[in-house]
Amino acid sequence: MNEGVMARLRDEVSQAWTVAVKDVRVYYLTPPMIMFGLLLPFFLFFSFSVRREIAMEVGIARLLALTTFFTASSAGPVIIPLERRTGTYDRLLAAPMSLVTLLLGKTLVGAFFATLVSLVPLLVGVLALGATVADAALLIVGVPLASLAFSAFGLVFASIPTRSVGNIMMPSTLVRWPLMFISGIFVPLEEMATWARILAYVSPLTYAQDLMNHAMLGRGYLNPWLDLALLPVLLVVFLIPAARLHHRARVLGY
Amino acid sequence: MNNAIEVEQLTKYYGDLLAVDHIAFQVRQGEVFGFLGPNGAGKTTTQRMLTTLLEPTEGRIVIDGHDLASEPYPAKRQMGLVPEESNVYTELTAWGNLMFTARLYRVERERREKRARELLEAFGLWEKRDVKVDEFSKGMRRRLSIAMAIIHRPALLFLDEPTPGLDAQSARAIRRLIREMNAEGTTVFLTTHQIEEANQLCDRVAIINHGKIAAIDTPEQLKAAFRQVQSVEVALDPDGQKHGDPLLALSGVTKSVKMGDKWRLYTEQPSALLPRVVEYAQAHDLELVSLCTLGPSLEDVFLQITGQEIGTVRHEREETERRGRKGGRR
Repeated sequence: MNEGVMARLRDEVSQAWTVAVKDVRVYYLTPPMIMFGLLLPFFLFFSFSVRREIAMEVGIARLLALTTFFTASSAGPVIIPLERRTGTYDRLLAAPMSLVTLLLGKTLVGAFFATLVSLVPLLVGVLALGATVADAALLIVGVPLASLAFSAFGLVFASIPTRSVGNIMMPSTLVRWPLMFISGIFVPLEEMATWARILAYVSPLTYAQDLMNHAMLGRGYLNPWLDLALLPVLLVVFLIPAARLHHRARVLGY
Repeated sequence: MNNAIEVEQLTKYYGDLLAVDHIAFQVRQGEVFGFLGPNGAGKTTTQRMLTTLLEPTEGRIVIDGHDLASEPYPAKRQMGLVPEESNVYTELTAWGNLMFTARLYRVERERREKRARELLEAFGLWEKRDVKVDEFSKGMRRRLSIAMAIIHRPALLFLDEPTPGLDAQSARAIRRLIREMNAEGTTVFLTTHQIEEANQLCDRVAIINHGKIAAIDTPEQLKAAFRQVQSVEVALDPDGQKHGDPLLALSGVTKSVKMGDKWRLYTEQPSALLPRVVEYAQAHDLELVSLCTLGPSLEDVFLQITGQEIGTVRHEREETERRGRKGGRR
């Protein structure tokens, strides 16, 4: 490959990493991040799981899927409007890197937060409550992969041209909640009617949930390799419209 | 040698609203170029397009020979941007902010640490390098914002309203810094509505109004083109403030404007007006505290071009005459 292209690629990877590290340092304890990224998945889990007879491993698999989904997809919608409001987003847009690099950096941040938050129920479950992990390797690969895909999903909403977190969270919630309910997270895929199962395949959360089931319980409905293959595809599928929509936002001056 | 900036047919629509209307200009290497305009004239929109923050609807921007549409990266590497609001990360320290920006511009580790120290010392922030920016004053944030913009030694620096809201000492320090950077070869594109600042700093200025370039030249050339806004400034004692209308009635005065304890009388022939003012003072037993003639200021030129009003209290002959006619009918 051409040396200039390689140097440029090195630059872009380094810049994406720089953006991600800065965001982790700046935003890890901001109130919207704690609310939408940390507390919300736990509230949802307890709302739909308390007083229901489920095995510890089922609960952890469910919580892992919820935290990756909600935490990762909240990072972009929280950070980008905050940065637009303070003007720091302009600093990133003016820097010598592509929009895709910037969005990759933001994707990494969401994935990092989600992976970190996912560790909490996992460690509590395994170390304190004696839960077992059926396939640790699947978990080690699956959680970051799902987080990356969902983080890119959040960036699609973050492209809404606004400087208010609330203006993004409202449509994002309108989309994410139905995706959660149709995903098979609370009703297992095998117990669903055929039409409901077809609907479940529309939700990206379905594949993360199925993968977590394989990792924690040693069984799932779909082939785990299919789940693993689909998550990176979803990452790209979400990044493409995210990049286009963010470009569109720049046309509008955001 | 390439121009630092070349702009052709640059246009921006926001929906149906035409914010910038097919403007064209060049900025030469090494000059301080002022971009003036009233609020809403299109100056910030233009600057945002020049710095890739906003997509133009139409037109071409070339930065040091690199077309911004097809070669944005080499162009962006040459630019530094200081926006109107100091967009620093308040959760990071001054050092953290500089290191982040340097990494973003791929400044090598050794060079970035040396340069950051150099800049923090030059801007009087070295002692505060490990303090979170949240605790910084507005002036300190602005200085840090400028340091962040030049850490990669850009050849072209964009400054958007760099001094409003700052105390006189900070504003003066920033103007001195702009001069120093320019002396070292940095081209400066200064967007401002502080006309005196542009007058002091800029080699050339462009005045934008309603999205179009209304004038572009050196400050002195622009002033020379507006000789009709020459004036005589007079301070009278006692009760100097009461003489606006009689002074306006003197032959040759087209407008009188109160400037503090003085009156500025606009005229096309200041030398002919001087004896009339002296005569008026003697006739009314007034002391002439000061009397001088003034050429057009850049502010006068700006106000003439943009069609805005000069001064805060205006006594125009036509208004006086209209009032007189109304009185007559009564």
